[in-house]
Amino acid sequence: MQSIKLAWYNILRNRRRSLFTILITVVATLVLLASGGFGLYMYQGLEEESARDTGNLIITRTGYFETEEDYPLQHGLSGFKEIQQHYLKDEQVKAVLPNVDFQGLISNGEKTAIFMGKGVEHGEFLAKGPFINFIEGHALSAEVEASADPEILLGKGLAKNLKVSVGDIVTLLSTTTDNVMNAMDFKVKGVFSTGIPELEKRMIYTDLNSAQILLDSDRVSSIAIHLFDIDNTSAKLDEVQSQYSELEVTPWWERAFYYRDVKNLFDLIFALLGIVISLIVFLAISNTMGMTIMERTREIGTLAAMGTYRYEITRNFTLEGLMIGLIGTVTGIALTLALIGFLNVANIEMPPPPGSTQGFPIAINFSLGLTLFSSILLMTICAMAAWFAARSGARKPIVEALSYV
Amino acid sequence: MLRFENIVKAFTQGETKTYALKGVSGSIQRGETVALCGPSGSGKSTLLNICGLLDNDYEGELFFDDEKVTGGINAATKMRRERIGFIFQRYNLIEAMTAFDNVEYPLLLTNENKSDRKEKVLSILKQVGLAGHEYKRPDQLSGGQQQRVAVARALVKKPDLVIADEPTANLDTETATVIIDLMRELGASIQTTFLVATHDSRMTERCHRTLNLQDGMLFDEVVGSVEEPQTKTLAKGAKHAEHQVSMV
Ligand SMILES: Nc1ncnc2c1ncn2[C@@H]1O[C@H](COP(=O)(O)OP(=O)(O)OP(=O)(O)O)[C@@H](O)[C@H]1O
Ligand SMILES: [Mg+2]
Repeated sequence: MQSIKLAWYNILRNRRRSLFTILITVVATLVLLASGGFGLYMYQGLEEESARDTGNLIITRTGYFETEEDYPLQHGLSGFKEIQQHYLKDEQVKAVLPNVDFQGLISNGEKTAIFMGKGVEHGEFLAKGPFINFIEGHALSAEVEASADPEILLGKGLAKNLKVSVGDIVTLLSTTTDNVMNAMDFKVKGVFSTGIPELEKRMIYTDLNSAQILLDSDRVSSIAIHLFDIDNTSAKLDEVQSQYSELEVTPWWERAFYYRDVKNLFDLIFALLGIVISLIVFLAISNTMGMTIMERTREIGTLAAMGTYRYEITRNFTLEGLMIGLIGTVTGIALTLALIGFLNVANIEMPPPPGSTQGFPIAINFSLGLTLFSSILLMTICAMAAWFAARSGARKPIVEALSYV
Repeated sequence: MLRFENIVKAFTQGETKTYALKGVSGSIQRGETVALCGPSGSGKSTLLNICGLLDNDYEGELFFDDEKVTGGINAATKMRRERIGFIFQRYNLIEAMTAFDNVEYPLLLTNENKSDRKEKVLSILKQVGLAGHEYKRPDQLSGGQQQRVAVARALVKKPDLVIADEPTANLDTETATVIIDLMRELGASIQTTFLVATHDSRMTERCHRTLNLQDGMLFDEVVGSVEEPQTKTLAKGAKHAEHQVSMV
């Protein structure tokens, strides 16, 4: 108690310098929490996007993602309807979406190109939200008249390559499960962009049923389970896995390659930022503490002469550093909270990220873990800087310290 | 109480080695007030620092109550904490502490309990005439008042020895007299031994004895007392001096 009071008076003694030191800690706290919180907000957005893209859980035959198929749907799932019915009853589940992955040739009658196709149910477009941007036309219809041609969506690059647009007819050629070639005509319903040119040159969407007819199979490649709440993924993963132990259940994060790359990169950036800030704080506080200790050399000598042990002297200065750190971080946290509140109200938009046409509002997530980590880190740095400075000060021979002017 | 034998202290600066103390010996009885006189640079501070266990880098031997002072820096710290008080020329109060806190500090170091501390501090502050100024900080006190606090701080733990290096040099005559009287009064009541480096004749007059340092040698020991004003005889070539000179 006595030493806290003492540290406090010493902080007040050179107000300008203490204020400067505290300000450094405040800024450091704010930068760490704001950038980290923004990172967390971005991660959260990416996580939700990734999970929406692949589904929170992907049910496949065991080893599906590791082994190449000899013919379409070789490792596909049969009887998907039963699984679909089962999980649609679950109130945590938003959608159960089977899909068929297939490849082949696409032709406009004159020109032929390779395609990568996905057969999806109509629900795909409802459950996943705007996961592709339509440049022309619309999503697949819910029902197509039996007599009409089935519908197809083409990637922007592919449509350009084949010189087709909405309303034109294209033919898909693919190998069936019996290893014979099969062809079907499709009517172009829409042209889309994904932001990734390589994909746009190959990608097509058809309805699930037509894809199965083309491939002459009733299997599907995988079933995606979409949940309302991303936080339920792990629990649901265990549940589905134990329910269908003969199948493989993959959570979204194992297929979220883009998310993982981005996260790894940003983790690295934040780690570097943290290190740089820590270093700056350490140097700044070492410097001001060094000055303080220099100024108080005679006081240190006096305390030592009266019988104060070196460690007690160092401890008092360390406490001073710790208190500066505490005041700084608490103020920094308060400012971060104010910033979060301001951003909530102000609703400032970020420019659209690459591959997207829509901007998104800037926000900062408040994370207790990050806050605790940053505060403890900064307070430790303050205390350490003070300790280092004080240690060298307390080592000076007493006689020398006492005659210091 | 305190005895030092053949103390030699040299300062090395680059190539040159200067002897601040060239082999001095002497002893001080318990309760004695001894003045250490001598011109500037004669080694007064150097000897005080050694006797006050602030400096352990010397040759010769130092005895406290006939026990040789040995041991490391921590033993010396413990000894200062428990048995030695200091009064400095420039008061050296801790700026961040009030008068009360400054005086209380030595008692904190000796782990006295809170109510005892408070009682002792208030009582000694009253004795040095600072009742009503207890909660002022050093920068709110005059030089004389600060030195009163310093005297109280040095004596509050009832030390065996008080080392004072020119305690009145920064004070005007009137204030200096007050400080000297305070030291004597408070010291006498608790049988404290004083070793005071001073140029101040009023100080030496009030001491039991004066040791004269000149050029790193202890030249004479004039015995006197406050009660019977002494006649200062310069006994040139006193036994210590002769002994020392032959040593160097
Ligand atoms: N740190 C030091 N380095 C080198 N020489 C020193 C040091 N301290 C003291 N001396 C020398 O030792 C001698 C004695 O110094 P000391 O300070 O003990 O004298 P003093 O009697 O206290 O003088 P004053 O009345 O000026 O305080 C002087 O010649 C001084 O130059
Ligand atoms: Mg001196």
